[in-house]
Amino acid sequence: MILPIGPVHPSLKEPLRLKLKTRGEKVLSAEIDYGYIHRGIERVMQGKTWQKGIFLSERVCGICSYIHTQTFAETFEKIAGEHAPIRAQYLRVLTNELDRIQSHLLANSTYFKAMEHETLFMYMLALREPVMDAIELLTGNRVNMGWNVVGGVKMDVKQVHMDSIMAIMVKLESEYGRYVEMFEQGPLVGLRSKDVGKMTRDEAIKARAVGPIGRASGLEHDIRQIHHTYRDNFDWKVVWRDEGDNFARTMNRFDEIWESISLIKQVINNLPPGDVRKKIDIPAGTAEWRNEAPRGEVTYSIETNGNLIKNISIRTPSIMNIDACAKYMLNDVATVADAVATYATSDPCIACTERVTILDESGKYLDFHGVHNIKSKLKG
Amino acid sequence: MLDGLKDIIRKSSIHVCLVNTGGCNGCDIEVVALLSPRYDLEQYGIYVHNNPREADVILVTGAMAEQWRDKLQRIYAKTPEPKVVVTIGNCPLTGDVFNQEGCSVYAPVSDFIPVDAEVSGCPPRPTEILAALLAVGPDAIAARGRQKL
Repeated sequence: MILPIGPVHPSLKEPLRLKLKTRGEKVLSAEIDYGYIHRGIERVMQGKTWQKGIFLSERVCGICSYIHTQTFAETFEKIAGEHAPIRAQYLRVLTNELDRIQSHLLANSTYFKAMEHETLFMYMLALREPVMDAIELLTGNRVNMGWNVVGGVKMDVKQVHMDSIMAIMVKLESEYGRYVEMFEQGPLVGLRSKDVGKMTRDEAIKARAVGPIGRASGLEHDIRQIHHTYRDNFDWKVVWRDEGDNFARTMNRFDEIWESISLIKQVINNLPPGDVRKKIDIPAGTAEWRNEAPRGEVTYSIETNGNLIKNISIRTPSIMNIDACAKYMLNDVATVADAVATYATSDPCIACTERVTILDESGKYLDFHGVHNIKSKLKG
Repeated sequence: MLDGLKDIIRKSSIHVCLVNTGGCNGCDIEVVALLSPRYDLEQYGIYVHNNPREADVILVTGAMAEQWRDKLQRIYAKTPEPKVVVTIGNCPLTGDVFNQEGCSVYAPVSDFIPVDAEVSGCPPRPTEILAALLAVGPDAIAARGRQKL
């Protein structure tokens, strides 16, 4: 029997159709329909200046909105062959890591909600609010910040703001371990999470899984390792595990938050003086730039004629992770409830993924089942 | 008397269905932030449910992507009376940054379904969403229930 879930469904926050092939309560395989929130961002960006494009790039995704503007700006900086001033680079790291903390806490809270652990869900959201305050203090907005420009960041910060963010981080660090322990040691959440939705390392490579989902399956890959700011200035390590189940993915996100807190402290303690923005003349050219979003590797490739964006292609991590979830994690899951929890742990962000819609000759919209299922016979 | 009793019950039991019709997700996570202990949506008797068949309030975010043009009206039809529609953010109002040449959005949402309250902002703060929900939700639902009976 085929069980359709979505696009509007109690277990989903965003519109997407999940078709589960079930026998009794057991889920045999799954398939995914995309295309509900395709807005045509790449097409809208064409023929615009970067000053307009950077606001559009921010609205590719609301949860990881910051990293999109940073990648957009750094792609233009690469075309010009320059880097932002060092103080701006440090502030970018600061905002990126704050954004990563709130995104990981939100992702874990969604997972706890999906496996019906309301207490941890509330704890995660309660931990997240002070981090949102820190983001607002730094950039002036909670979600879409408008903080990056080509050549630096928009505003300088004051020491009093840095002290407040440091206080928030110290408080988070002292409280946070308790909740991690609650998940790690809890026998019942362990039963719901361990050995559910397993993906091996080979499958992760085949599915091109990135970010915490790939790292939880043993892919020790983090694009921050080769990013010039992180590589040259900061002391940190890549967090990875090799179990590849729901427990590992959740714990991987928890552990990455420790690294992010440490990075934020390093930024605040060693913030160099200087300008936060410089003028950059952009020549005609093409460039590609990668960054580590909270969900994995995000790639921008931009072609410009020096003034306008001629062509832009955005590759977001969620599309690979959702495909990996449908193809490899949702195989032989014991119950439908576990399948929904597994889907939630792959941290799906549908707004990111919608780059394409497929039409037939008459202009009618066709269902797009993801790259792996493009020739699938399963129809819902 | 029965009407009065129903009013009281309806005012403190509001189920919300969140429909993203093609936004960037920012407004949706602000609605999730409303559930957090700091704002605590559920102390007002509001429960985010995401099931249109049981909902009293439909929260619409997003700028109406192509696929939603017929589906949103179907969701509206499935929701039982009395119902209230609240749109969140600039996207359902104007299409925001997406509504430019070459886009595939069909804002505003009020072209497709009747809208009771609109909250502007990109995204609006959780407190603003909460204020709009409380301003339009309980009383309107109680009053409409009376008209219907």
